[in-house]
Amino acid sequence: MCPCAAGSECIAHDNDGKMVEGSEIRVVRCGGSKINTRSPIITIDSRFLLCVSGDLVKVYSTKTKELVRVLEGHTNQVTGIALNPANHLQVYSCSVDGTIMLWDFMDGILIKTFVVSYPICALYVSSKHQGVIFSVIPIASGKAESFQLVAVHLPRAVEVEVDAPELSAVITDVSANPSATAFGREGEYLASAKGLQLSVYFFRKQKTYRFLLTASDKKGAKNGFSCVACHPKEDCIATGHEDGKIRLWRNFNHRKEYTYTTIHWHHNIVNTLCFTPEGTNLLSGGIESVLIQWQYGDNKKAMLPRLGGAITHVSASPDGTLYCTCHSDNKITLIQSSIKVCGIIQGLVKGDAVRTDLLIDPRSKALVLNGKPGHLQFYNLKHDRHLYNLDIVQQEYIYEEGLDQYEVVMAAFDSTGSWLATVEERGLKLSTLEFSLKLWAYDKTTQSFSLNTTVNAAHDDRIRSMSFCPSSETTMLVTTSKDGHFKAWLLGADVDTEKDSDSASWSCDFVGSYHGLLPTRCSFSADGSLLAVNFREVITLWNPETWELLSTLCLPPGDIRELCFGNQSCSKYLLSTTTKNMLCCWNLLTCSLEWSTSMDVVLLKPDPLSENVVAFSKQDGHTDLFVFKPSEPRPLFTQKAVCMGEVSRAIFVPRSELLDSCEERSQWLNRSQLYFLTENMDLLTLCTKTEEERMAAISKQLVADKSVAVTPFYLLLGKHRRQQEQQDKLDDSPHGRQAERPALPQGSVAIKELLHTPAHVLPSASFLCSMFVGSLLTSTTDNKNTADQPPDEEMDSEKEEEDSEGEEATRDGQVDPSNLQGSVVDRMPRLSKTQERQLRSVRKTDYSWLSSLADA
Amino acid sequence: MRLPEYADVRSASIMAADGGFSSQMLPCVFSPKSHQYLALCAQDGRLRIWNTDSKTLHQEYVPSAHLSATCTCIAWGPCRTAKEGPQRKKRKSEAGPPAETTDLLALGTAAGTILIYSTVKGALQCTLDGGHSGAVNSVQWHPEENVLYSGSDDAHIAEWDLQTGKMRCKWKADRTAVTSLCVSPNGKLLLSAGMTIKMWDLETKEVYRKFTGHSTMVTTLCFATTRPPDSDGMYFLSGAAHDRLLSVWQVRSDRKDKNAVVSFTLTDEPRHIDLLKSDSKEEAVRLAVVCKDGQLHLFEHFLNGPCKKPLSPGCSVQVSSAGGKSGEDDTPVPVPLLAASLNSDKQSLQLAYGSYLQPVIETTPVNTAERHICLVRDIQTTLSLSIDTAISMVKTPIVNEKKSKVLIPGLPGHQAPLKSAKQSSQPEKRKKGTPTEMTIEERLEQVELSAAGKGGEKGISTLQTDSYAVLLVQGLESKDKNILNRIFQIRKEMLIRNTVSRVPLPAILPLLEELSIKIQGHPNSAHAAVDWLKAVLTLHTSYLSSLPDLVSQLGRLYHLIESRVKGYQQLLRLHGKLYLLMTQVATSSSGHNVNELDHTAKLVYEEESSDEDEASGDEGLPEDESENWEEDEDDDGEDMDTMEERQNHADEEMREDSKANGDESDLDAENESEEE
Repeated sequence: MCPCAAGSECIAHDNDGKMVEGSEIRVVRCGGSKINTRSPIITIDSRFLLCVSGDLVKVYSTKTKELVRVLEGHTNQVTGIALNPANHLQVYSCSVDGTIMLWDFMDGILIKTFVVSYPICALYVSSKHQGVIFSVIPIASGKAESFQLVAVHLPRAVEVEVDAPELSAVITDVSANPSATAFGREGEYLASAKGLQLSVYFFRKQKTYRFLLTASDKKGAKNGFSCVACHPKEDCIATGHEDGKIRLWRNFNHRKEYTYTTIHWHHNIVNTLCFTPEGTNLLSGGIESVLIQWQYGDNKKAMLPRLGGAITHVSASPDGTLYCTCHSDNKITLIQSSIKVCGIIQGLVKGDAVRTDLLIDPRSKALVLNGKPGHLQFYNLKHDRHLYNLDIVQQEYIYEEGLDQYEVVMAAFDSTGSWLATVEERGLKLSTLEFSLKLWAYDKTTQSFSLNTTVNAAHDDRIRSMSFCPSSETTMLVTTSKDGHFKAWLLGADVDTEKDSDSASWSCDFVGSYHGLLPTRCSFSADGSLLAVNFREVITLWNPETWELLSTLCLPPGDIRELCFGNQSCSKYLLSTTTKNMLCCWNLLTCSLEWSTSMDVVLLKPDPLSENVVAFSKQDGHTDLFVFKPSEPRPLFTQKAVCMGEVSRAIFVPRSELLDSCEERSQWLNRSQLYFLTENMDLLTLCTKTEEERMAAISKQLVADKSVAVTPFYLLLGKHRRQQEQQDKLDDSPHGRQAERPALPQGSVAIKELLHTPAHVLPSASFLCSMFVGSLLTSTTDNKNTADQPPDEEMDSEKEEEDSEGEEATRDGQVDPSNLQGSVVDRMPRLSKTQERQLRSVRKTDYSWLSSLADA
Repeated sequence: MRLPEYADVRSASIMAADGGFSSQMLPCVFSPKSHQYLALCAQDGRLRIWNTDSKTLHQEYVPSAHLSATCTCIAWGPCRTAKEGPQRKKRKSEAGPPAETTDLLALGTAAGTILIYSTVKGALQCTLDGGHSGAVNSVQWHPEENVLYSGSDDAHIAEWDLQTGKMRCKWKADRTAVTSLCVSPNGKLLLSAGMTIKMWDLETKEVYRKFTGHSTMVTTLCFATTRPPDSDGMYFLSGAAHDRLLSVWQVRSDRKDKNAVVSFTLTDEPRHIDLLKSDSKEEAVRLAVVCKDGQLHLFEHFLNGPCKKPLSPGCSVQVSSAGGKSGEDDTPVPVPLLAASLNSDKQSLQLAYGSYLQPVIETTPVNTAERHICLVRDIQTTLSLSIDTAISMVKTPIVNEKKSKVLIPGLPGHQAPLKSAKQSSQPEKRKKGTPTEMTIEERLEQVELSAAGKGGEKGISTLQTDSYAVLLVQGLESKDKNILNRIFQIRKEMLIRNTVSRVPLPAILPLLEELSIKIQGHPNSAHAAVDWLKAVLTLHTSYLSSLPDLVSQLGRLYHLIESRVKGYQQLLRLHGKLYLLMTQVATSSSGHNVNELDHTAKLVYEEESSDEDEASGDEGLPEDESENWEEDEDDDGEDMDTMEERQNHADEEMREDSKANGDESDLDAENESEEE
């Protein structure tokens, strides 16, 4: 296999012994995972938004759109989340790994794990069915892709990890799509749709009614169900259909006399439906990326268009003030109930493929790849945050299936970041190919890119690769195309037609070809003095100044797949990989093969800041990683099975702070960090131990007390207290002392215990509740006692009260209104009229949750 | 940190003229470590947090008493991490190490309260009140513990415990207001300043050292080294109001530290200071100071002992608006810098400039080789860009139709200029050489030729064509577009031929160049130019073929024609299809009329043979037509498609005519190359 490099050894071989249990370097996921797979939920107080992201549940603040907390514990894709109906500060999550977990999302504590031991696809809860979780699991029979809805009875055990073996089937043969099943009014029935059939299961009758639609009507409309939503107050089921119709089913508790009405706006499949909590509105969304708000019982509708990306899920907050929509471009949009967008949580936009390579913007150090259709996205890797989309195509994107629209397929930055080249094309499927090459200059005065030159149909056929010349003297871009030519574009080469010569533009300087063969890759050497272009199996070396063909290198069989020059001390080497699984290293001084080895390299990336080159090679289902210097065929570092499947893209990102790791195996990561993108679009990176230690060193937990004047109660009482203090100061008589407010009861031992014990070891809320409520009731005799106490003690108690007030706020306002209410009622006679008015308004607020707590 | 505002009418008017330099010093701080955010409290009392990565407004917070108790100072808390649970099991592919996140922000107010704001939650974390009776002038976080220090107008320093939100202790620090504070990097010492500077031991709360300070209020204090105090290596610097010197003080073990050891000269009083601390004597301290006049000064100095001369900045940076282009403001106006911070990679600077209400944030590489840098920035356009991006997260790059160039196939620059590969370097030299060497000869020849030509023309042909030829030569020489346009509008073939044949030889190449420009242009003008081109190529073939560098001279024309002709086949096909459809449509509409007539005819039926012929004749036609009609309906769908296609190819269609003509000229061009 290796004709001229006899001494070279296969890279794949001699590292078997070196496999260390990734102790100092490990593969970590660095964010950018999908947040749009399942419907997000908004907490009762509308302050947080929970969404599923890979095997995590993420908690975002609805106000700042910041990631507040991550719930980490599942070992596989999380497939559903639902707020615990018994405690709105807890959330259930289910996963393909066969577990249901109960979390306290405020503190990020895992409370309980229920092991179901079937992969779970979706999860439904209802306040009527406490202790039971309805989940969709695959039917164990040989038939693939068949699912059933089962009720999982949660055992009441104290242990953190419990088996939940008690399953009872509710509806067999349901859709795996989580939005195709929904709970009806007050949890009395479950509606589930699959294909052309709507099944409604009534819990009281223990019966399932099934309604069938014909496959298509006269006009050829497709009637298949796509999603289901139930009205929260009335017996009405809304179903979405493949042809864009929404049917509202009523009277379905009679098998024969059911009726339905149809509303129709969507012209394509209705992806999702959701009733607002009061049932006054129905929200629907589809591929058009328009959110429709239908008024229930009235055919009026309000629309919010141009949300960008097909809507996949819609949900409404329990108080109805916020809606959120999930979009196919990995985005969650927060919408006020007045149909106005108030915020966007944007993950790394992922289409079906990264068509532009991963790039680094030298100016902002952001990761750049194609994002929204027609845009380039800029992503901050360090903070895992989407920065912005750069509109390259500048044409309105029409959200409809089957349209052929411009997409950015290629992009390149020059070494300083002052030039950006993009290629946009359309017409792969339907019409003839149209594409154009755009060259953007970074305009410092306006701090943005500005278009310099557009080249329409730069080649006769598609552009295969593109690269800027790294030398600082000439600004040159080389494109290779399927038409058998490569073109060199030069800035300001041709000025005679330019009327005003102050702005130089790009023009073609040279067109090259080699025996009519197809060029695929092009690469410049680090100093820009050599250009390598491969024509099938032949590598040609050109002088970019004179366009002289210097040399050709060829090692059949197999076409060249990747091509790259070595850097720094290895700049005399050229590496190439072929389709016939060969990795070759050419010495450019002697124009001969230095070494070669047989391995299936799918990706080859040089580190711009060091000599190292990384190669990813696929081996039975997973990918191995090799790091080596071109000067020697032995790898510096290998890691087997970096990830499952193929690595599609990779890039070295320069570090802002150099690592000073002396460990030999991790030295190659000192200057830059390696990021790579897997088949299923996970962005992974390698993390060294020193880096982790450093991170741990800086990150000292800063604890700050959270006693904030959030509630109107606090403000009101704060005012009183201050007034009273002033009063006390004014008339320092024993009478004034007596007017002092009595100590609030939450200073008592029981409540302190309640507040100080971690949530996961607390006894059940029902047990605590009576005790808690009891402690709130202060008798009038108590009051007198405190009043009679000597002043010193009184001071103490007040201090204590202040303390406890601080603590109660840590429970996030759940407790404090009730406490304060207790105390306020107690002091009623002493209040002035205005104060009374304020109190009355305070009383009107809803305390229904408290009663539900008491019930529990 | 609030400055006493001196009523200086003159300076105020100058400020106003300068485009909004605010005389007031407003708090403006970059977040620590990676400078991800810029917190700014503007004149309207609102706290705004800007994202420096995307350069957009990240958050806005309005303190409940933002007008009465305005924010006087801001300090970012140390980087926080998400609270970690018990040690996680290490899985194969888990989430990476927690990224440093900046969360808490302490705001001191004029009312004496301190607000702790959480940027993650976007809400107030807690309020620390009851500590000060005067305005808070400075807040400082302890680098390690959950402790905050605040200095106030009431001459006291308060120490706050953040865990409980209570004041731990409070002591009188000065006779006058405490205007500035700074905690040492190891967290053991605290600097405070009014007029004089005091160093406190934080454990005992006793004065450790005293320094003379400045004659005015000290506004900034900053530790410059991370070395311990007993090693003679601890330095800090101070800046004061109305003082154009930054003083560096050394904490010496021999206690002879009454006077400043080093001073840095500035152009105005310091507003915002950022420095990279040095760990050792070998490492220089890097300092970026933004002055009141909106300039930035960069210093780099090795701190080892006193230095008598005041040091001048190594580099000064100024920002100026782009003048000249935007009609109203012809003169460039300086844009004040608000804050600057040095990035840890030592190669770039983060700048914030513009107005406090909407600052522009930028990362620029530093080139310390230049003493003075002026950055020209167009603030207006940048501002308009940043507003809507906060929600849509889409940035639109500038597309200026006039400035950007469009290359379509056929235009020069789309294909490489044709030159014979081997001679490519030589002819250029020749070209350069020839005009200098042979000027006189050539000129003489030209004069002779043109004279002879003119003479000949006068003798032989009619006045009209002759005058056109002369006019053409004049037009080519003077490059007068009007003349050329007038001449190129001639359509008569004979006239063109005559004129071209009379054009003197040296004018032919300019003529060809002019024609090729015409052909590149609008299809209509190209149409006219094609006739001329044809005439030139046929009449002057011999001259052209004798030219040595014909390939490079006519290469562009060749490319142009070739690319224009490339789509000719397809366009012909499209044209044919459209023509077919259009005729179908036309006939069908006319057929409709006939159909109606036909109905009346159908009702009449007579048995006589003589009439039958007529009737059948009548019927025959309509039947055909009706069939056509049906076909048409089927075609309708196609029709729609092609209509779309037509819209897509609108341009090409426009050019269709010209190409039909261009075809001929192309043939000529090909002949040309064959001859050659």
